[in-house]
Amino acid sequence: MPRPRRAQHCCRETALFSMANVRHLILLLLYCDGMNTETTPSPPSDPVFTTRKAVSKEVCFADWATISWHAGQNQVITEELAILTPQNIELLCNLTDIPNNPPNITGYWAKDGQEIENSEETVNRINEQYVLKKTFSIQARDLGNYSCIFRENKAQVTFVLDVPVIKDKRDKPVVSYTRDSVVLECKLKYTPNTWNWYKANNTEKIFNNGNRTKLTILNLSEEHSGKYICSAVFDIKPSESYIELKVLSYTEPLKPFIAIVVEVIVLVTLILLWEKCSKPQHDSSSAGENDVCSEQTTKLTRDESNGVENNTARRRKLDD
Amino acid sequence: MMEKPKKTQEEEQSPPQIAAPDGGWGWVVVGSLFFSSALVFGLIRSLGVFFVEFVQYFGESAQAVSWITSIGLAMQQLLSPIAAAASNVFGTRPVVMLGGFLSGLGFILASQATSLLHLYLTMGLISGIGWALIFTPTVASVMQYFAVRRSLAMGLGFTGIGLSSFAFSPLFQYLVEAYAWRGALLVLGGLSFNMIACGAVIRPLGKPNVVLKTENSSKLNKCSSLLSRIYEGFELSLLSHRGFLTYSIALTFFNAGYFIPYVHLVAHSHHIGFTEYQAAAVISVTGVVDILGRVASGWFSDLGKMRMPHMLVVWTGLLGLSLMLIPAAVVYSGLIVVSLMYGFCAGAMTPLAFAVVPEIVGMERMLGALGLLQLIESVGGLLGAPLSGWLKDHTGTYTVSFIAAGSFLVLGTLVTMTLPYFWSCMGPPPPSPPKRKSQDGSIEGGLLTQTLSSNSAPDTLCPLNDIPYSDKE
Repeated sequence: MPRPRRAQHCCRETALFSMANVRHLILLLLYCDGMNTETTPSPPSDPVFTTRKAVSKEVCFADWATISWHAGQNQVITEELAILTPQNIELLCNLTDIPNNPPNITGYWAKDGQEIENSEETVNRINEQYVLKKTFSIQARDLGNYSCIFRENKAQVTFVLDVPVIKDKRDKPVVSYTRDSVVLECKLKYTPNTWNWYKANNTEKIFNNGNRTKLTILNLSEEHSGKYICSAVFDIKPSESYIELKVLSYTEPLKPFIAIVVEVIVLVTLILLWEKCSKPQHDSSSAGENDVCSEQTTKLTRDESNGVENNTARRRKLDD
Repeated sequence: MMEKPKKTQEEEQSPPQIAAPDGGWGWVVVGSLFFSSALVFGLIRSLGVFFVEFVQYFGESAQAVSWITSIGLAMQQLLSPIAAAASNVFGTRPVVMLGGFLSGLGFILASQATSLLHLYLTMGLISGIGWALIFTPTVASVMQYFAVRRSLAMGLGFTGIGLSSFAFSPLFQYLVEAYAWRGALLVLGGLSFNMIACGAVIRPLGKPNVVLKTENSSKLNKCSSLLSRIYEGFELSLLSHRGFLTYSIALTFFNAGYFIPYVHLVAHSHHIGFTEYQAAAVISVTGVVDILGRVASGWFSDLGKMRMPHMLVVWTGLLGLSLMLIPAAVVYSGLIVVSLMYGFCAGAMTPLAFAVVPEIVGMERMLGALGLLQLIESVGGLLGAPLSGWLKDHTGTYTVSFIAAGSFLVLGTLVTMTLPYFWSCMGPPPPSPPKRKSQDGSIEGGLLTQTLSSNSAPDTLCPLNDIPYSDKE
């Protein structure tokens, strides 16, 4: 049963990963050791933050995850850890329920697929568990995928250590119009020290909105089109994403609109014209004007046995 | 095939009834209904793409944005009697053309909106008025043009809604991505202008009702003739007609239950654990079967094997049953089967719900009846969806709301069964022209009854369909 251990350092947390072979319940508890090289070691009784040196944005968290993993599946289980500040992290893998219960097994650590030198350890069985742990000092260049691998049964867990990734990226550009305004936004769960926005691969910073995740541009013009990079600055490394902006002039949608309106006008004119042209043939109210017309009328009236046409037929016959 | 009686020299004595051509130019009018229903209801159904953009641009909540559709639909239904009255006075064609212009204008103005209120007023109000002016008169025109194959014509006309729901969603998505919502609304306004052309093809079959009636009446003073024009235009005499009132209550119940699955089926599928793609597949399948149901039901009902009210009762009863079965389907295949049944019955009842109106109130008052019916049934629509949402919030699942929807439909079915002449084998006798006999000359009244009595089906033929008001023998 993993427990958070609060010790001398800032909330000391250990990453613990328990693997079992048959019907496994894997408990993952993350501890992060927030010891920063800048701070002085604090006496045990001191509360956590007073010993820190102006790094108030440092985040310590405990992450619990329960995953079931069935025997025979060689899945690689991955857990993502968001690292905001340079720190020491202890990663712990706990393996249980191996068949045959050997007294000891060997395990090693790998970073980004490459085995870390001198990381191989022989793990003894303690209380039916095999615990493999290692402390890593993480700076900006140390971010990556760390895996603990047990040689015997090839069980493997990967911890992905990275700055928080800005998800929700639009792959289509944001479209807006000249003299309109637009809001560009990068969404992130964690609050960075500051946000920076850059335009189009220049290193020149154009807007610095501090804590704002949104960039508002008023009174757009065509020069505003292009790629905008939003950068969330953390202690360890900034996390970046980009948004593309396209500014159109009003004539753009007018083209299909005018085309459709012209088509409608043409259609309506054609329809009404066609009806007018074919109207004289149907118009039989003036008898005798068109020989074909009155012929049709008398023919029809003779065919009708009852109904309206009787009277008119009689009248027509009288007229003829 | 066109047996239009020619306008005689004695025009003031021509009967208000014009023979339905049942073909020929009628099919063009069906095409007009196809495009109109596509550009009205298909458009409304696909507006969801814009709502995402509105929420982001204006920073308002999704609920505030959804009022746009609510206002539009409410205007369309509430103003139906006015549209019917206007058609009675001016004729269908100018009214529909004006409606097409207004609906396009609404969207064009909406493209310049700077606040959500502007959208309410333009997309909701103006376009809603336009849609009202289009839908009811077009439906009435199709029914005037067809007598024997009325249901089939209606069914075919309404397939426009189903097909456009498929086509418009990706189209709107593309427009929004290419031109942003402002440009997309502008283009859609242009598209809506096509309904002006739809209106132009509706050749009038005779003079509008009110014009005929006022021409035939003896010359009274202006004031009372105006009042009588209003009275006639709105067909308010229908409010004392028992069959009409019964049917309007039944339609209100139908409306209360009909739209609930469209709103809640996806959410329900998610709720019981199906993935997004499975839920979308259910909706797509329902849509396809809906289209099939419309055409099949229209074609079958025109065969004349059963009376139209009986068929309507069958379809609505099955629809209510399938709605109540939806919560019982926990397996995916079961849900698909029940959704198929729901889709087919929902599509099947639509053409009949309209086509049965002339049988109840008579061809003459059909236009006004349609208008008033839409107004009355809108109450059901306005109550149904929020009620089911409230039920879901209170009980936590959609089960009760589906059962409520199904029971609304069953209630409507029961009410339909109390229609006058429902239990008889033949249709109702043709309605005698009410109260106008005193005003009109006896010749006209005599002609009218002579025409109508010649059309009433011989009483011995039991399973005959509704009486076609035509001169065909």
